[in-house]
Amino acid sequence: MASAATQSSLRPDMRAPAISAEPAASGARTRSAVLISSAAIVAGILWDISWHKTIGRDTFWTLPHVLEQLGAIVAGVSCGWLVLHTTFAGSPRERAESVRFWGFHGPLGAWVTIWGTFVMLTSAPFDNWWHDAYGLDVKIMSPPHMVLAVGMISIVLGGMLLLLAAQNRATGSEQIRWLARGFVFAGGLLLVMVATMVSEYASRANTMHQPLFYQVAAGAFPVLLVALGRAGRLRLPATASAAVYMGIILATMWILQLFPAQAKLAPIYTRVSHMVPPEFPLLLIVPALAIDLLLRRAGRRHDWLLAAGLGLGFVSLLLAVQWWFGEFLLSPAARNFFFAADQWPYMVQPGPWQHRFWGVTRDAAGNLDALALGRGLAFAALFAMGSARVGLWWGNGMSRVMR
Amino acid sequence: MRRSVGRVLGLAALVALCTAHVGSPDVWYEGSAGPYHVVVYVRLPGVIPGIADINVQVVDARPEQVTAMVNLYNASAGTPPPDVAQPVAGAAGWYATRLWIMAPGSNSVTVAVSGALGSGSAVVPVAAVPSRRLPLQRWLGVVLGAMGLFLFAGIVTIAGAAVREGVLPPGEAPSRRRLVGARGAMAGSALIVGLLLLGGWTWWDGEDRAFRERMYRPFATTATVIGSGPRRTLRLEIQDSGWVMRGDSLWLRQHGQRAWPPLVTDHGKLVHLFLIRQSDMGAFAHLHPTTRDSVHFEAPLPGLPAGRYRIFADLVHESGFAKTLVTSIDLPGPTLPPGVDSAGDDGIYLGAAAAGPAVLPDGATITWEGAGTPLVAGAPAALRFTVREPDGRPASLEPYLGMPGHAVVAREDGAVFIHLHPMGTVSMAAQETFALRRLGDTATGAIGSRIAARDSAMAAMTQAIPGGRLSFPYAFPQPGRYRVWVQVKRGGRVRTAAFDARVRPAANAGAS
Repeated sequence: MASAATQSSLRPDMRAPAISAEPAASGARTRSAVLISSAAIVAGILWDISWHKTIGRDTFWTLPHVLEQLGAIVAGVSCGWLVLHTTFAGSPRERAESVRFWGFHGPLGAWVTIWGTFVMLTSAPFDNWWHDAYGLDVKIMSPPHMVLAVGMISIVLGGMLLLLAAQNRATGSEQIRWLARGFVFAGGLLLVMVATMVSEYASRANTMHQPLFYQVAAGAFPVLLVALGRAGRLRLPATASAAVYMGIILATMWILQLFPAQAKLAPIYTRVSHMVPPEFPLLLIVPALAIDLLLRRAGRRHDWLLAAGLGLGFVSLLLAVQWWFGEFLLSPAARNFFFAADQWPYMVQPGPWQHRFWGVTRDAAGNLDALALGRGLAFAALFAMGSARVGLWWGNGMSRVMR
Repeated sequence: MRRSVGRVLGLAALVALCTAHVGSPDVWYEGSAGPYHVVVYVRLPGVIPGIADINVQVVDARPEQVTAMVNLYNASAGTPPPDVAQPVAGAAGWYATRLWIMAPGSNSVTVAVSGALGSGSAVVPVAAVPSRRLPLQRWLGVVLGAMGLFLFAGIVTIAGAAVREGVLPPGEAPSRRRLVGARGAMAGSALIVGLLLLGGWTWWDGEDRAFRERMYRPFATTATVIGSGPRRTLRLEIQDSGWVMRGDSLWLRQHGQRAWPPLVTDHGKLVHLFLIRQSDMGAFAHLHPTTRDSVHFEAPLPGLPAGRYRIFADLVHESGFAKTLVTSIDLPGPTLPPGVDSAGDDGIYLGAAAAGPAVLPDGATITWEGAGTPLVAGAPAALRFTVREPDGRPASLEPYLGMPGHAVVAREDGAVFIHLHPMGTVSMAAQETFALRRLGDTATGAIGSRIAARDSAMAAMTQAIPGGRLSFPYAFPQPGRYRVWVQVKRGGRVRTAAFDARVRPAANAGAS
């Protein structure tokens, strides 16, 4: 359960005596709204990516786009309403549980979500111009898409902060448990978003023997898993979030494949008959479990040393599972509904390259260059350590959020 | 709304002069789609992937349905479903749709018409390339800048609020130390966000540079005169390493380039080369150089007066990608008597444009019908001509390179150049590559030899075309002063007439 340090911060005597202990209903509504909106945004992203792999042609008004936009609007508006309510009609308690922003009052998470909504809004004309200027970018990594991603991530982060503040203030164990569950769910959504952002480098089985895969994963995931592990109040928060991530991707994978669809853009090099699913999820649950266990054992005193251990543990465990799992995914045994390793977008020219590992470090004779691989993995471990250290700072901050 | 935004963007677009056809990116086609006579006008996007406007006119028939579809030349797993083109309000017989062109290179637009006469289709080749760079409009820059500033201030404020109050138990006032810490957090976050923005700016810059490198450029080409006396030869050399090294797969891989497919003959000729005197457009020649290595092309130089000439050379790749190479040359004085026609299918014209009907050396005339009609940039131009015998009867025309006639359009500054046929701006060879492509065609040269076989069959056709009428579907892309050379074959000789055209800017520039 919660560490001694966190429990001490929850002592009721630290509260200002004038404020009633009644929880604010408006806060609970906003938390639910932001969480549901975040889930809608994640569903929209995954659906949209599959749409581009399968059908290709889209408009501003496709269902996945509407889902994303609706998610952003509902999250932003509900937080905006909470801010206006707190500022102009809030109870003393609600105002006490808020932070000031340009004369307005609202919980920290609400501000982050509102900010994220505005970032998403800004990305729309930027992205539109980008398509007109440089052509429709059929890729995830582009400046306007990154602006959009920052906005989406901020919306989820805002939701997490709203949950955390409530969790850290709560005294009833049942209430804490529900809030902690909401927190790991939001963490899972965040993992899906970040995994999607880096999916061009760290998702395909073909990349699982090249150092870049591990370097990108090492930069992207420890920061999240460690922060979730440190700030969450469930037994194994990082593991639970990783399970949420895997569950969401697996469900998307299996559901999408059920729907018939056809490509509506040329050139078509691969025939598709059903929606093309996302890649099989990374087995993040394994390193996440190690992170949770290490965090529980180590306490909070030696964060620098802990970060080194967490980073090293993350990369070695990820390597241990993904290296072999990648081989399995490239084998004929994975070409089925369950693993969906044979599902390629319509614009891909089929060839033997699809069943090979890409970017494998090789020496002049063409054999695996273990030294170069080791060097690459050493860099990955360094990135993971840095990422884990940031995660500890962030997790420490999150576990103290009260407003 | 998107459409109007697109229109505004179109206005601001910097149209670079490097489209596959010089300055004239739109595609016009006139011909048959089965039992129907159609005119197809494709307005290409300046970027790929981008949306092309497809307009189809079905002449003298009421079709039940008109559809259009875009495909890349080598797509191997089927075609996307065609789109139904909708009737255009206020333009009887016209149908329009908008289609995505996703991949740069040789694409085809397949137009299918069905109705009481049955059904038929026409394939229109389009060379889709990124051809223009769009600057950021001022208003959008201001909006994005203002939003950026607002968001920057917002995140810095949030960072400050998080440290100042975010971790305090509800109701507790921040200590002095916490206030100082909050200021530090604001400064720190401003620095971090500033660095991230700088990184984003650098990234954008890099993407922009990469885009400019991907933009279409014709092969770098030079021209020289070899020899002296009456046997002078014009030599065109493609110097672009992407072409010279096309057979070296290792070099191509190292330089991130793809192998260009070989050239195919168009109307039986590998290259159609045009010389236009730069100073006054008063000297013009249409030559057909030959080659042994597809890098050096040579043709005997006809009797052109001295001066600086622009050279435009049309060629077609086996993929169906048609392009125009551009270079220039200084020609010393003529060694052949000026105005001597080159032999065979070559043609030459010296002098000013005709004020009225042009009189050919054999006494026949070419009249530009409706020459008084004002010409507007972007609007269909009435390029209709009638060839008459000296006695005024409509002339019969001998096939000239498989066509009743050819027209060449050039703007006085060389920014627009195009070689037209009665079938439009499309190259016949490009269209043939699509017709003669078989599923699973992988051997380079296979399509080329099929085209050559078809060309030689066509060369045997000498049947005269009666009526003396020539019509070239086209719209002048930009305002300015143009010259139009019309070439026909009579008595086994190529005869050329020249006309001047002044094209006004469109009243509502940018509107479709």
